[in-house]
Amino acid sequence: MRTTRLSRLTAAALFVITASTATATAVVTADAPAAGASSLPSCNLKALQNHKGVVQVTFWNSMVQANGQTLAAITKAFNSSQNKVHVTLVNQNSYDDTWQKYEAGLTNGQLPDAVQLEDQRTQAAIDTQSFLPVQSCMNAAKYSTSDYLSRPLNYWKVNGVQWALPFSVSAPVVYYNENAFTKAGLNPNNPPTTLADMLKDAKALKASGSGMGLVEDPWHLETWLASANTLFVNNSNGRKGRATKGVFDNKTSVSIFNQLRQLVRSGDATTNPSTGPDEYDNLLGMGSGKYGMTIETSAALGTVTKLLSGGQYSNVKLGIGPFPVYSSSVKGGIEPGGSGVYISKKVPALQQAAAWTYLSYICNTQSQATWAAGTGYIPVRKSSAQTATVQHLWATDPGYKVAYNEINNGVNDPATQGSIIGPYAEVRTDVLNAEVSMYTQGVSAAKAVSTAQKNATQTISGYNSRLGVG
Amino acid sequence: MAAETASARHRRLRTLGSYAFLTAAAIVILFPIYVTIVNSLLRPDQLVEQPPPLVPTSPQWHNYVAAWTTGSMSTYMATSAIMTFAIVAGQLVTSILAAYAFAFLRFPLKRTLFVVCLATLMIPLEVTFITNLDTVTSLHWFNTYEGLAVPFLATGFGIFLLRQAFLQIPRDLQEAAQLDGYGHLRFMTRVAVPLARPSLAALGVFSFLAAWNQYLWPLVATGGQTPLNTVQIGLKALLGQQVSQIPISLAGAVIAFVPLLILLLIFQKQLVRSLTAGAVK
Amino acid sequence: MTDIGRAGMDAEGGLEAAALVVETHEAEVEAREAGGDTDKTTGDGAGGALARRRRKEAALAYVLLLPALVLFGVFSFYPFFRNFKLMLYETPPVPGLPARYVGLHQIVPTITSTEFTQSLVTTVIFVVLVVPISLILGLALAVAAHRKLKGIGIYRMIFSSTVVSSVAVASVVFGTLLNPVVGLLPWLGINPTPPALESTTWALPSVALITIWQFLGLSFIIMSAGLQSVPDELLEAARIDGAGAWTRFWRMTVPLLSPTIFFGFVVSTIYAFQAFGAIDILIGNSNAVRLHTNVLIYNIVNTLQVSNNPGAAAIMATVLFLIMLGLTVLQMRLLERRVNYGR
Repeated sequence: MRTTRLSRLTAAALFVITASTATATAVVTADAPAAGASSLPSCNLKALQNHKGVVQVTFWNSMVQANGQTLAAITKAFNSSQNKVHVTLVNQNSYDDTWQKYEAGLTNGQLPDAVQLEDQRTQAAIDTQSFLPVQSCMNAAKYSTSDYLSRPLNYWKVNGVQWALPFSVSAPVVYYNENAFTKAGLNPNNPPTTLADMLKDAKALKASGSGMGLVEDPWHLETWLASANTLFVNNSNGRKGRATKGVFDNKTSVSIFNQLRQLVRSGDATTNPSTGPDEYDNLLGMGSGKYGMTIETSAALGTVTKLLSGGQYSNVKLGIGPFPVYSSSVKGGIEPGGSGVYISKKVPALQQAAAWTYLSYICNTQSQATWAAGTGYIPVRKSSAQTATVQHLWATDPGYKVAYNEINNGVNDPATQGSIIGPYAEVRTDVLNAEVSMYTQGVSAAKAVSTAQKNATQTISGYNSRLGVG
Repeated sequence: MAAETASARHRRLRTLGSYAFLTAAAIVILFPIYVTIVNSLLRPDQLVEQPPPLVPTSPQWHNYVAAWTTGSMSTYMATSAIMTFAIVAGQLVTSILAAYAFAFLRFPLKRTLFVVCLATLMIPLEVTFITNLDTVTSLHWFNTYEGLAVPFLATGFGIFLLRQAFLQIPRDLQEAAQLDGYGHLRFMTRVAVPLARPSLAALGVFSFLAAWNQYLWPLVATGGQTPLNTVQIGLKALLGQQVSQIPISLAGAVIAFVPLLILLLIFQKQLVRSLTAGAVK
Repeated sequence: MTDIGRAGMDAEGGLEAAALVVETHEAEVEAREAGGDTDKTTGDGAGGALARRRRKEAALAYVLLLPALVLFGVFSFYPFFRNFKLMLYETPPVPGLPARYVGLHQIVPTITSTEFTQSLVTTVIFVVLVVPISLILGLALAVAAHRKLKGIGIYRMIFSSTVVSSVAVASVVFGTLLNPVVGLLPWLGINPTPPALESTTWALPSVALITIWQFLGLSFIIMSAGLQSVPDELLEAARIDGAGAWTRFWRMTVPLLSPTIFFGFVVSTIYAFQAFGAIDILIGNSNAVRLHTNVLIYNIVNTLQVSNNPGAAAIMATVLFLIMLGLTVLQMRLLERRVNYGR
């Protein structure tokens, strides 16, 4: 979700100026369990090696504006780097559109060779039985994943099988106006690091005439839960077996919702929806000085910096801080968001092998460095972070580094890797509806959490039963 | 004498009052359109200015260029034009043929078939689109012009309207034509169709409006995808993609609205006629 | 068809009643003719020639009807009847996998689900918001413009103008007008929290406002046409009798217009029942307000496209069909009574 909005962020960019401030904390790493799936379909890389002539590959993606241009540049580089595979990009505008068109393709036969799908579609993608797990090709190519950041890689790994490669990965960060912080008597170099601090700062901002803009993103609860190392759905967030119910009706969730409820009900934060004409109001409000702080995905940064840097809004000095976690005393992690890249099983083996060649290219060290520099997504490889491209970016624009550190640091376990849920989009809507009912109807946090869990569970079991697995 | 002047003054006052009311109503109705035009000519930063500018002081005509080119309005307009043209032409042809049969020919099941044609009016698209989507997909028409237009090439309303028009043609004329050796096809093209021109115009305008402004079907039948976005679906994309560039999406809205405004100016009478065909017998 | 198309369709719905009345009369005439023909055809050779001519004529008729009938069959009747089949099957939540026969088992759960009942309630509230206001405004404008004044044509043109605006244009226009950061509202000091389009209370009325504005043109056109069919002499006579404008309006205009008003009522009700575009554009799917603007069509489209559940969608679409059918039948009844009245 967060990236759906992102991919269209051009506008909001106008109002944000440039990134500053970075935070780096301790590095915690833990290795993911080794892949161990027995009956994978095969990925015939030999077919490509033995093939004479150029294999045409179509890649459906959802990248627009600056992000789209960067992807085009990387693809162009790929096409001219070798003479076996030629990739044509097909832009589908947004993640939702891509998914919808892919679903239509399952019945009308118009399917791509490779496709970029949003984080929340992982289980649904698996359920379509139309993808060749990249694991197959990884095994065939003896491809090493040790260079990847652990959480993004594991996000697209289910039951030990890597279904997609992490390609465009982002995380929510705090965007704030340093001038507004100063005016409110806050330290402009100390954005809030915890939820409780965020509430305090929002109150101070409000008292000094600005306040906070809060977009009603549907992943609030899960992100704060991950930061508290707490599961969202059962079966280890759906990673050890299919998720069948929500498991978040607990004190942590109630506390998170309670604080958000307080934040909005007190008027310290003003909300706007994450779709429709008001979807960027939190960012627009930052530009006009209405808000002193907001939470937004890091993927906005590239578009923003490229478009802005003009300095039209002189009263705004933009700062970027890490996502304010649930509590400084609980060790958790920020779950990655964004999209993974998949290979279709519905196309000939030759196309599959060619698609793999391309996907492994756009996820290699230099491509990911170029990608990060051009977009604001984080590089998914540690080696990319060491490249001159990225080092230079981080030195000049430290804001870019914030999300990378968020994803690289923290605990790596199922609670911080994000959930795998069949009807993920609908579940998020259930949770968001409950969250918003607190703001607009004054529903209590405890009631909202239990409603959210009840509805989410209902949604999941409805999906599973229609699939014939519940 | 004095009484007359008083009543004249009274009448003048009443007229003045009428104008005042009419003008006020006109302003309220046009206001959204006016604001849209003004805002479409502003710089993005002027949009948030307080008080909002009520005239574009430095009109940004390039907003329209941007909507037309980078905003893809040119493509959307072309798609809409082709789709609309196909639908209007198709509806005219199928309606003329069927209405002629109902008006001039005798054949078994005539009444039943006419009721069948009218019955289609009771089955709205909202009921049929679920299956039509499958049909269009299995014909490999998903996201094609065929998929956009073919389901709408016949209309019960058109058949009804033209049949009424054909029935107005005097029987004598038909008999005279028959004596002159006119066959049915010749009578249809040389006599019936020219005489039914007003109704054909009414149907054409109505079909144009309905086709151009369609929303649900083009959305589902193309998945809202390029390259076959119609203007209406394109506007949604424009709005979603360029929120910071609100003026450009407003320029897009103006561009989408203009052809219809022209249509209204030229064909107001026909349009009113078709829209009220059911109200006044 | 959408928007105006829909409205027109409903106009068509209204037509049907009239058409059927006309039709009955014609059928009688034809039956008489046919009867006469049978007498003649018995026996002689001329009758054989006539029969041949008749067969040729009938063949031509079927050829002329073929294109329309094929299209109606494929794109109206087949999908209509297929809905009844779809209702019996449960589909997996992702496309491309086989459906499962469940008989009547998903019908009751679907129409009793809170999502569907809430959606029905939302639709009814929406209809109640849109219909009376747009009819009253349309009538007021029509009465005001029903005068022989200089330049009245321009006013009539302006009042009709919104009839050509599409739902997408209207949504873009009002989406900006209602934007809490841009332009007018903040200047007027109207700064609701949350903004109208995200407020569970105001989102639906906002969409209704757009729909009213858009429907106003058609409402005005319908009312004007009705007014024009009222003989001026009647109103003139009343004026001479000394009836005041207000009395004349209530005692004369409204009763004389009642068939028109009723027609407008049915058209606008069906129109409002089919609202979709403005919600699709302005509210969107992942907006929490969606639950409060989840009108019937939106819910059907979502059920089909997002939940990939054609069975449930078909059930809901059939309920929608029954509502529309009810409205049309109601109108037919009243129209018939009016025709009988007149005689």
